Amino acid sequence: MKFILMMGMNTSKESMSKGIMSWPKQDIEAHIGFMIGFSKELKEAGELVSAEGLAWPNEAKLVRASKDGTPITDGVFPESKEFLIGYWIIDVENAERAYQVAARASAAPGPGGAPLNMPIEVRQVMSGPPEEIQ
Amino acid sequence: MKYMLMMNATKANFDWYAKWPKEDLKANFAFMRAFSKELKDSGAFVATEGLAWPDKAVIVRAGSDGTPITDGVFPESKEFLAGYWIVDVESPEEAYRIAARASAAPAPAGTEGTMPIEVRQIMSGPPEEFS
Repeated sequence: MKFILMMGMNTSKESMSKGIMSWPKQDIEAHIGFMIGFSKELKEAGELVSAEGLAWPNEAKLVRASKDGTPITDGVFPESKEFLIGYWIIDVENAERAYQVAARASAAPGPGGAPLNMPIEVRQVMSGPPEEIQ
Repeated sequence: MKYMLMMNATKANFDWYAKWPKEDLKANFAFMRAFSKELKDSGAFVATEGLAWPDKAVIVRAGSDGTPITDGVFPESKEFLAGYWIVDVESPEEAYRIAARASAAPAPAGTEGTMPIEVRQIMSGPPEEFS
């Protein structure tokens, strides 16, 4: 079963003031070091499908098609919105294993090396549209 | 340059989608299949996934001993990722053009406006000073 593990980032002023870029450099390095080791471990276990990190929310654009199909882009979002900042897709035996892996990501080191215990949203990845519509 | 094109929706949006007439759903899926094929043929395609519905979403946090604590309660206003495409293109403008095509995917007659697609670049790694 494939699951996606999503890391979010809220753009409220309070969340941003505690964001990773405000941490001491060695804490950022320890966090990134953990993430690299974590991905390597998932790869070695044969569980990693893919992992990506996204550009910061201030670079996000909302795109809609205009009447003639050309893109209308908009960069204005609500002040306190949750943005996807990165994810892992893993292929595991069951949901419980996905939750265990998510808990490890959740405990990634933060300032002073303390576990962040950040929320990780976990959802199954579908292999295709529902059978009745195919 | 790799970009992620995201379809985000609230639970209310999902509930509305679940009520689409079957023929509208079929037209939408047919469009999505053709769209993916076209991206593959053009060489821009990297990946696409559809996610389980938000009622299946779980928030996981590590407890003090590292074991998972799961929670399924979300604010009504939360936008859930419904699905995404990753494309590899020459410029952001090209990513926006592709996003506009996805935005214009067919919907039931009378649907107002087009679907918003969030577009953001995918990073190849941590910032240089930390790598």
